[in-house]
Amino acid sequence: MNKVKSLVLAGLLAFAPSIAMNGQALAQDNVAAAAPAADNAAAPADSAANAAAPAAEAAPVAKVAAPPRMKPTEGIGMPKPGEVTLQEQFTSTGHTARWLHDKMLLPLIFAISILVLALMLYAMWRFRASANPIPSKTSHNTFIEVVWTVLPVLILLVVAVPSIGLLADQYKPAPKDALTVKVTGYQWYWGYEYPDAGIPEFVSNMLTEEQAKASGEPHQLAADNRLILPAGRPIKLIITAADVIHSFAVPSLWVKMDAVPGRLNEKSFTIEKPGVYYGQCSELCGARHGFMPIAIEALPPAQFDQWVLSQGGKPAGAAPAVAAAAAAPAADAKL
Amino acid sequence: MATLPPSPFDRDRRNRRTMIAMAGVGLSMLALGFASVPLYRIFCEQTGFGGTTMRADANVQVREAAGHTMSIRFDSNVQPGMPWQFYPEHRTDTVTVGSKDMAIFIAKNMSDKPVTGTASFNVTPSQAGAYFTKIQCFCFTQQTLQPGQEVRMPVLYFVDPKILNDPDNKDTQQITLSYTFYPVEQDKKPS
Amino acid sequence: MTTITADHHGDHAHDHHDADHKPAFFQRWFMSTNHKDIGTLYLIFAIFAGVVGGAISGLMRVELAQPGIQYLQGWANIQHSLLGAEPASLDQAYHLWNALITAHGLIMVFFMVMPAIIGGFGNWFVPIMIGAPDMAFPRMNNISFWLLIPAFALLLGSAFVPGGTGYGAGTGWTVYAPLSTSGSAGPAVDMAILSLHIAGAGSILGAVNFITTILNMRAPGMTLHKMPLFVWSVLVTAFLLLLALPVLAAAITMLLTDRNFGTTFYDAAGGGDPELYQHLFWFFGHPEVYIMILPGFGIVSQIISTFSKKPVFGYLGMAYAMVAIGVVGFVVWAHHMFTTGMSVNVKMYFTAATMVIAVPTGIKIFSWIATIWGGSISYKTPMVWALGFIFLFTVGGVTGVVLANGGVDDVLHDTYYVVAHFHYVLSLGAVFSLFAGFYYWFPKMSGRMYNEFLGQLHFWVFFVGVNLLFFPMHFLGLSGMPRRYPDYPAAFEKWNQVATHGYEIMAVGMLIFFINVFWSLAAGKKAAGNPWGEGATTLEWTLSSPPPFHQFETLPVIDDAAHH
Repeated sequence: MNKVKSLVLAGLLAFAPSIAMNGQALAQDNVAAAAPAADNAAAPADSAANAAAPAAEAAPVAKVAAPPRMKPTEGIGMPKPGEVTLQEQFTSTGHTARWLHDKMLLPLIFAISILVLALMLYAMWRFRASANPIPSKTSHNTFIEVVWTVLPVLILLVVAVPSIGLLADQYKPAPKDALTVKVTGYQWYWGYEYPDAGIPEFVSNMLTEEQAKASGEPHQLAADNRLILPAGRPIKLIITAADVIHSFAVPSLWVKMDAVPGRLNEKSFTIEKPGVYYGQCSELCGARHGFMPIAIEALPPAQFDQWVLSQGGKPAGAAPAVAAAAAAPAADAKL
Repeated sequence: MATLPPSPFDRDRRNRRTMIAMAGVGLSMLALGFASVPLYRIFCEQTGFGGTTMRADANVQVREAAGHTMSIRFDSNVQPGMPWQFYPEHRTDTVTVGSKDMAIFIAKNMSDKPVTGTASFNVTPSQAGAYFTKIQCFCFTQQTLQPGQEVRMPVLYFVDPKILNDPDNKDTQQITLSYTFYPVEQDKKPS
Repeated sequence: MTTITADHHGDHAHDHHDADHKPAFFQRWFMSTNHKDIGTLYLIFAIFAGVVGGAISGLMRVELAQPGIQYLQGWANIQHSLLGAEPASLDQAYHLWNALITAHGLIMVFFMVMPAIIGGFGNWFVPIMIGAPDMAFPRMNNISFWLLIPAFALLLGSAFVPGGTGYGAGTGWTVYAPLSTSGSAGPAVDMAILSLHIAGAGSILGAVNFITTILNMRAPGMTLHKMPLFVWSVLVTAFLLLLALPVLAAAITMLLTDRNFGTTFYDAAGGGDPELYQHLFWFFGHPEVYIMILPGFGIVSQIISTFSKKPVFGYLGMAYAMVAIGVVGFVVWAHHMFTTGMSVNVKMYFTAATMVIAVPTGIKIFSWIATIWGGSISYKTPMVWALGFIFLFTVGGVTGVVLANGGVDDVLHDTYYVVAHFHYVLSLGAVFSLFAGFYYWFPKMSGRMYNEFLGQLHFWVFFVGVNLLFFPMHFLGLSGMPRRYPDYPAAFEKWNQVATHGYEIMAVGMLIFFINVFWSLAAGKKAAGNPWGEGATTLEWTLSSPPPFHQFETLPVIDDAAHH
């Protein structure tokens, strides 16, 4: 609904003030990357400026409007109120893993628990002192002991096959043309950089309760500058931290990878559908550990390229056609 | 087992023996805890565990695996507060597996004081660590930059052709080499 | 399981005269060398620490009952005003949260479960069960206990000194570097680390003492394969302590030097690696969870056998299943580190190795059921707690199989699912076994019977409470709520609210427990030497209740005809 206004604003604004209460201003986030919301205490670290410096020289001035800020879909990419199971998944490993959990592990652990409970309740009732005053003296039965040793081994072997398969699938490295985004954990916000597109690091802070409400997003999950990614393209996140260990986690994409200072980790996935996917820092990192959410906005590829251009970056394999398409009014894009 | 109750004297001696043996076990575990620092480093260096890179002599002979290429990505970080710019000359490079290649990182001291730095490093995916071999690297030693000085720092490396036979790396198309520069403080000696 | 020769009873009257000569109060309780008195001291200490740790979890549950920060700011202000500091900033209030979760974890692990189950019941009953007059090194035993006091004082004191953003150590019980090194300025973390050093030293001394006692002090005829399973469990636990705790000591010593003396063991800036700390911590930390639960296995085995009037089914399988759990427990540690970026084959190994633990654990569960099968079961309070333990431990165990899957753990790691899992095995496992043991041996230790009605009531209220408290945490974790958060998105409100109500019910259960203890100590019926009848076959039931101050001055002889 804000598309037209966004287009106008996005082209004009070169600074990023804090998100105001009205919908219009939301589009501002997409513009200038490196400045955090003014009312958030966190500031971009020196290294952000450092890393930005060489890239910034080459960056052309943004002329393309950023796509409008996407509205999250209730219950997608975020927890549902009173939910009792896993979030809906939007990556192939997410589907496999959820299948393993829902169709294999969950029935198995239910069956085991109920078997144990049933055996216990039956024995407790059948062999109560009043019904069975003379206890048996049996204390060995080699056959049954072998059975309850071998049977769990067999069950575990059956479980192990898809578990190992899932791991292999999950850790399949991305192809070399995958979009690479660098994620850096700071106390207490995230920094995102697109080294190939030449978009310098920008930081992402949590929205306050009022800001989240104004933006129609769940508080504690909503962030000012989202990590913008393309849907349907392989993505490789390279993840590190600047101070202490953080963990980059997005439940609906089945992603959780520690951000360790002095060390790089990578995580590959492909987001199946455009949408907003939320996550939270998942390694205790100090006072505001609970207040550095992750908000991913997955855009259709054309709009993603448009966004890259709007940030002064160059889209992967940038052909004039892509740029032209990206420059077309965002209103054409169906989210 | 025991048929006669042992005399208190025997028992005390046996107890003391057991205690000394157990204290020995405890102390060995304590020693193992401390020894794990070098052991862990050696383990990582030998196996590439955690994406630790390998190291080779300048005159090492490697067989080039013609037709097999690998994309290499270079990543750079500077500890917050360290007044350096540090970045790779090229973000990515494509090399033939088994052939030696040189990458250049550029570092510049942005402050008006000399600053000494030392770099930590690893590669991802971590199973590629055992095959990423450095012959020469600025990360082997400390680097001192004078105020405003800019240097081009080379890394001479190759990807071991054995990677082509490793099932864990059959899908590895790109290896990322990451460095993080830290300032060397007076009271922090490299261990 | 075993019988002892009758002439021991003949000596009893004579024993009683000499054996019950007790030293004066100060001598007896502060310089004690008597395993039973030291055991009592451990139990009193553990109950006190448990109240502190439980009260902290109450604070946490109250704050988490609704989204938003309700009370944390106020508590932080109180903490600051006690110290004469300025009112707390919001970040300092958040830091207090981290200090609370850290204190809760450390207290419950090192100052409640371990002292109660090993120091308390182990000290009380291991010597008696093997027919020994006391522990091998009674004075060392005393030192082990008294080391706990300064350790606990240091930990509590750390809450009142700076620890980074605010007061107290806010690193989590895992004390991960670099949050615990460069991330936490101030003496709080140093105090917490020293506290662990001291408590750990006490536990290592205790472990040496138990191993020596069990290996050398058994009465004639009490072969290793005739020892009650509780003694087996303490023996395995003592070895785990001896092998695991020194590694923790080394790991946290290096934390201390990194913090204070400029070393860089865990600091990438100096060539160290923060993940080395995690490896060392979990090399200790995983065996540590078995240290907390194995003696519980032993207690439950004794109780199940007693109240079914049947010997334990598959005694040897039970004993060696514990040994197997202990051994395998040392080679699975990195399943706590699945998201640190380890390579896929390492993850596959730790997934497979972790699942293996399910096999000996399954043997134990099925053997307990087989023990009650065909028995003549009476549902006294200890039995009810032990049966509750079996089921709840099963529930906690099966979620462990889910978490063992490295691929599935990617989404569950560090969420409330993990919190639910380890509270089911510890808070509902180890704690249920503690209560089972407490009711089982209360008549023996105090000489008075507990109140059966209050005991049963305690069980049911506590059972309902803790299940309401911890079961919804599975849901929270599955839908993505991370642990160690003082606030959460509104979607998590429902189950958090249920959990807090569960806590309230559990607290009522604890009140019933304390009423029962005080009432029984004051006015409980006098307990017979063996109040449990023919099913209670271990040596402690051959003695009076409470046992004479010095028992077995004439060693009992264990009948060779005894069978399992």
